[in-house]
Amino acid sequence: MAAKKYSAARRVFLIGSGLVGGALAIGTTLAWRRVANAQAFKPQVKAGEIAFNAWLKISPDSTVVVQVPRQEMGQGVYTVLAMLVAEELDADWSKVRVEQAEINAVYGNVTALADSAPAAMQAAMMTTARVLGVQLTGGSTSTRDGWEPMRMAAASARNVLLAAAAAKWGVPATELSIEKSIITHAKSDKRAPLGAFAQAAAVLPVPPIANPKAQKDWKLLGTSPPRLDVVEKTRGTAQFGIDVRPEGLLYAAIKHIPFVSGTLHEVRWNGGTAPKEVLHQVRGENYLAVISTSYWSAQKALNEVTLVGGGPTGSVHSSVHSSAQLAAQYADVLDGKASDLKPLHRTFGKHGDAEKIIKTTSEKQRVNAEYSVPFLAHAPMEPLNCTAQIKDGKVDVWVGNQAPTAVLWLAAGNVGVPEENVTVHTPYLGGGFGRRVDLEVIRQALACAKVAGGKPVQLIWSREEDIKHDAYRPAVSARMSAALDDKGGVSAWHHRMVGPSVSKSVMGRMNPLAAGDFPPDKTNAEGAAELPYAFANFKCDHAQVELPVPLGYWRSVGNSYTAFFVETFVDELAVALKKDPYLFRLELLKNQQRFAKVVDAAASAAQWSAVLPKGWGRGIALAESFKSIVCQVVDVEVVGKEIKVRRVVTAVDCGIALHPDNVKAQIASAAIYGLTAALKGKITFNDGMVEQGNLHDYPLLSMAECPAFETVIINSGAPLGGIGEVGLPPVAPALGNAIFAATGKRLRTLPFVIA
Amino acid sequence: MPTQFTLNAKPVTLDAPDDKPLLWALREDANLVGTKFGCGIAACGACTVIINGEAVRTCMTPLASVAGKQVTTIEGVTATGTSVVQRAWIEHQVPQCGYCQAGFIMATTALLEKTPDPTDAQIDAAITNLCRCGTYPAMRAAIKKAAQLKKAGA
Repeated sequence: MAAKKYSAARRVFLIGSGLVGGALAIGTTLAWRRVANAQAFKPQVKAGEIAFNAWLKISPDSTVVVQVPRQEMGQGVYTVLAMLVAEELDADWSKVRVEQAEINAVYGNVTALADSAPAAMQAAMMTTARVLGVQLTGGSTSTRDGWEPMRMAAASARNVLLAAAAAKWGVPATELSIEKSIITHAKSDKRAPLGAFAQAAAVLPVPPIANPKAQKDWKLLGTSPPRLDVVEKTRGTAQFGIDVRPEGLLYAAIKHIPFVSGTLHEVRWNGGTAPKEVLHQVRGENYLAVISTSYWSAQKALNEVTLVGGGPTGSVHSSVHSSAQLAAQYADVLDGKASDLKPLHRTFGKHGDAEKIIKTTSEKQRVNAEYSVPFLAHAPMEPLNCTAQIKDGKVDVWVGNQAPTAVLWLAAGNVGVPEENVTVHTPYLGGGFGRRVDLEVIRQALACAKVAGGKPVQLIWSREEDIKHDAYRPAVSARMSAALDDKGGVSAWHHRMVGPSVSKSVMGRMNPLAAGDFPPDKTNAEGAAELPYAFANFKCDHAQVELPVPLGYWRSVGNSYTAFFVETFVDELAVALKKDPYLFRLELLKNQQRFAKVVDAAASAAQWSAVLPKGWGRGIALAESFKSIVCQVVDVEVVGKEIKVRRVVTAVDCGIALHPDNVKAQIASAAIYGLTAALKGKITFNDGMVEQGNLHDYPLLSMAECPAFETVIINSGAPLGGIGEVGLPPVAPALGNAIFAATGKRLRTLPFVIA
Repeated sequence: MPTQFTLNAKPVTLDAPDDKPLLWALREDANLVGTKFGCGIAACGACTVIINGEAVRTCMTPLASVAGKQVTTIEGVTATGTSVVQRAWIEHQVPQCGYCQAGFIMATTALLEKTPDPTDAQIDAAITNLCRCGTYPAMRAAIKKAAQLKKAGA
């Protein structure tokens, strides 16, 4: 019955949609399938609440309660996903509330998984993703993923609410309107709030097709209503993972072996035994955790212990012997020499024959440059933590994690209970940036809970452990070469990179079986495999190497380094051709009007040609990531060796800015994250150990160092792009290009140091 | 030995070791979790509270050192959570992840007591907490707005 209803809906939709393109049709059909499932699923309700579908409940006082299946880690997802639903219902924003949705396949993030697949496999991946139903917050996908199904589901709820009101009042539904949560029949002057019809509406058959409002009819989307989480975050009442206090709570602290990876061999307590405050000791493969009645006493006890461990062994050890050693090994790989790093060479993008043209071009028409970026830690402000309780065959896990479905699977498998006996509680995340995709802290908290006799245990990592044992953004090196033609253009572009695969490392830690053969990792070369610039001959190669370092997705992932390589090299080509870097980019974008518009908007807002004081420089860079296009112009003042970033002007085209203030806030947020990396960020190794250990030697940008921001939004109407990460990729190259403009020094290594 | 002090305008006695950092005494013994742990080395300021009028990072402040003193945490900034600083914070929609915000609000509250109309340079010198989400642009605007509200006696 359900299947028949669905296929009828799909047929009607496909006929109705007429000439929509193949990809769009697949995507939209999929959205309808998701809505059909979401109509059947009803979230838990409190007294008096009526659930309409997976995303929407209405309470007796007409509050619209939106189930948000993504994690709020600062990016504004609670607010923006709630806006999608509130818009369709014309809800009064002051009466909209959000709840963290429970874990169910109906809430799976289809877009994130589809994005990760190669183009040819995306449609298949969408289907798989829907079945798997993994709730995942990452890849700047939350709004893109909720965009169609959440609005469609809310639109169909609107229809039944209006139908219920029409029946009650004996008027045609077409004569009804909703304003600020009040349903009105103007002709008869009848009005009543949404909640008055919720019960009657919920039992009506749901219309198979309910298209969301046209953009011209939007009242809420495209405006910037107050964020739903700001008041509690200002009062100090917002609950983070580290704040949960279940009855009988014990605390645990942890110490890993000093090596970045390896095995714990021996635990040596000063004085032979653990201090009396230690109630239990938990020994893992590479760590010791101790449980006490206080986090502080557990952490203090760890000062009394030495962990004897073995670091990475065999040939891979040399790569973390020192950072200089790794750089030399990367150079060997790029030179095509034999390497212990087991390079796997892949071509991620190619047209024409760039290598041949570069080889046959005269030396003076060739441009070559080498770049490198270091390992980086995420350093979210809330240190990693997880609270777990195992009692009477049930497992409760309280953790701010970006993939709660994976937390559920892990907990059920790890403890050996059915999934329905596991409850994952998701509080606010004190920063994510990709750090909270990792599951290690959950595994460790479960190990602690297993010895705690049914009591809950809150495991907190110290900041030292966080910096020394992160899943890092990898170090990557690049060699760029280009051939210039006689007409002042670029005839060939060849980009070669060496670095490890982040996805392979992440998947390998989730499931060691996945660590063997691993498909090509798109993130290795994202942002470099295809460029908007018109290069007649183009090639992007990547040598994937094996390193004994755990790796993780770090805000904007591969784009965090590819944009630096690409956009610095474009600037170098402009210099070689004696062209203005902004006009040179426009020239290369003559068939890419959407990109050109963004570049123009940034240059114009920044007054590109305006003269700067002595010692200042202005640089520009462009990057597309997560389906959004961003161009940044950075003004810098260089005083001796000091780099003072004065202003960042951004133009962004993310299709439609649904909450413009949040778009601006996220652009600045990501750019500041990127500036911290460009000016300060560096994780280095010595003898298999991370050399940095807290925020004094892994410093973050401060308020005093923060530049002024101006952001111009271009509402192009293109399909939605992401916003949480896209402000990061161009900022380092724009700054480096500005430093070159100020000093004539081309800096090709991050973080920037003026010699 | 138990430590007696005034916490958010009420006398309290916390029975915890003298060397326990005030941060953990607040979070574990007073059950006030608005004050946050960020680094443990007084580098980030997430644990900032006001002690006798001064903004203090509590992750390195022994509990015994506050005996007899007046301690104000985010929970005590005002009874209703709408001090001028908090109102300015809401108006400028400052928080993103929100984790560091209580520390910034406490540091700003202390700054405005001594410097009611701070210049940018005074803000830079006094507000040295760290925010990983990069809320600094909105925060600077909110600090200035809070100064205005305070001056207007709002």
